[in-house]
Amino acid sequence: MHCIVDFAADWVNGNRFEASLLESRGPFSDGIYEVSFRFPTGCKIMVDSAIRILSLANQLVSSTRRVRMYFEEGEAGTMGYLNRIGFFDQLHPEVMISPERPAYSGARLHQGQNKKLVEIARINKDDRDIGLPSRLVKVISRVCQNRADVEELCHSIWTIFCELIDNIFEHSATKLDGYAALQTYIEGNRLFVAVSDSGLGIMETLRPTLKTQFPQLEKKTDTELLVMIFRQGLSRHGEDRGCGLKGCAAKAIKYNATLDVRLPNQRLVLIPARGAYEPNRAYCSEQLPLVWGTHIGITFNLGVDRNEGSG
Amino acid sequence: MKQLEGQFLPLGKFMDRPEGWGRQQGRTVYQRLLQFVEENPGSVIFLISLTGVQRMDISFASEAIVELVLRFRRSKGFSIIDPVNADLTENIDAACLKKNQPITVLENQQIKMIGPKPSEGTREALEFVMDRPYARASDLATEGGVSLNNASMKLKKLWDQGFLLRQEKASDSGGVEFIYYRIS
Repeated sequence: MHCIVDFAADWVNGNRFEASLLESRGPFSDGIYEVSFRFPTGCKIMVDSAIRILSLANQLVSSTRRVRMYFEEGEAGTMGYLNRIGFFDQLHPEVMISPERPAYSGARLHQGQNKKLVEIARINKDDRDIGLPSRLVKVISRVCQNRADVEELCHSIWTIFCELIDNIFEHSATKLDGYAALQTYIEGNRLFVAVSDSGLGIMETLRPTLKTQFPQLEKKTDTELLVMIFRQGLSRHGEDRGCGLKGCAAKAIKYNATLDVRLPNQRLVLIPARGAYEPNRAYCSEQLPLVWGTHIGITFNLGVDRNEGSG
Repeated sequence: MKQLEGQFLPLGKFMDRPEGWGRQQGRTVYQRLLQFVEENPGSVIFLISLTGVQRMDISFASEAIVELVLRFRRSKGFSIIDPVNADLTENIDAACLKKNQPITVLENQQIKMIGPKPSEGTREALEFVMDRPYARASDLATEGGVSLNNASMKLKKLWDQGFLLRQEKASDSGGVEFIYYRIS
C-alpha cells in the first residue's frame, strides 16, 4: 500500500506536521511499502519540522520502505530552503526526489554565510563532534548581538544543545543519525532550537525501570511522567540523575520558551506560565502515527531583552 | 589552631578544551582529577579554579566535579573559585542539587554555598561556622545559646551532609573533640 503525506501550502510547524501525518494514517502502518511526501506550492517547512521529516524519511528507508518526495515548486520553493540548510546532504540517497535532487548542496556552497541559520548538523555517537554546540550557538551571538543579555542567552542555548545532544549519545541506542538545527526569525526575536533522534523514545527507556527505581510513579500517566522529567528531573539511572532535561527546561523558561516533545506515538507541548512549566499547561496528544525516537523543539520568544525588561 | 590550607586545582588544565560537556567527557576529567587528589594525600581542601573554563554543561559538572566531591565527602573538601560567568555556577548548582551535595563557591572575596540548602534546624549552626575559620561544638553552645549536645549534633549533621569538614583533636581534658571547618 502507498501512504501519502500531504503538507499544507503554508508554514509547516509542529502542529501542521502532525496534522499531515494523521491525515496520511501513518507511514509505518501495516502493509505500507511506499511513502510519498508532497510539498505543494506555498509550502514552507520550518526548521523543527524539517528535521522531523528528515529523521522520519531515513527511518522509513532503513525499514525497507520506498520513499519519494515531490516538491511542486522545485528549487524555487521550500526545496531551495531545505537544500540551503543541508537537508538533502543528510537525506538517505535512496529517497527519490521530484523534480530531481539538487545538483549541488546549498549548505556546502553557502556554509556559514547566512547569519540567521545554522545548517542541519548530524549527531552520531560513534563520531562525536565536540565543537558542534559552540558552532550552533555562534549564530546567536551574531543575530542577537544588540541584546544586552546576548552572552547569557548564548550560554543558556549552548547548555540546552549540549544536554540534548548528550542525551542522544547516552540513551537513544540506535545506529541511525540524530540531527540538530537552529534558526532565528524576525530580526532575532524568535529562535528555534531543534534536536531529533531516531532511537528509543524517553518513555521506552524510562517505563521499564519504574518498578525498581521509582515504584511510587508506576501508575502515573505518560503525560504526568513527561512533565516530571522536565520539572523535577527523572532518569532510568536513579534519583541522582536526570538533571539534563530538567536543566534544559530551567534555561528555556528564563526566555518564556515553548517546549515541544515528540515521542514515537505521543507529543507533549509545554507552554510557560508564571515562570514555570505547570502540569495544567501541558498539552499531550496520544496515539499519533509512529515516528521513532525523541524530537525536541524549543521556541524562544525573545521579544523583550530580559536585562532591559527587568531593568 | 590553624585554618586548613587549600590546594590549588586548576580544572582547565585537566580538560582537553575550555568547554566541557556531556557525561563521557565529564567521566574522563573525573579520572584525572581523582588521580591529582590521590597524589596529594596531605591536602584536605582543594580549591577548584575555573579560570580558563569558558563553559560547562550540567552533565559534565555532575560527572567531573560533583562526583569527586561526593567521593571524598567527610574526608576532604572542595571549593569552587574564579567562576568566569554566572552560567558556570548555575550549572554546577543544578548538578549539586540533583546529587544532594553542597559546594562552597568563592567569588569576589565572598563565600556562598550552592546545591542543597541546610535544614532549618542546622542553618544557624552552618552560618556560625561559615563566619569563622573553624569552630568547636562548645563555641556554638556558648555563643549560640544551645546545649552542648544540641550543638554537637547539629555540627555532626552538617559534616555528614557535606557542608563542613572536621578533624579530631585531643581536648584539654584529655578526651577527644572535633574541630569543624568551613570548606574554603
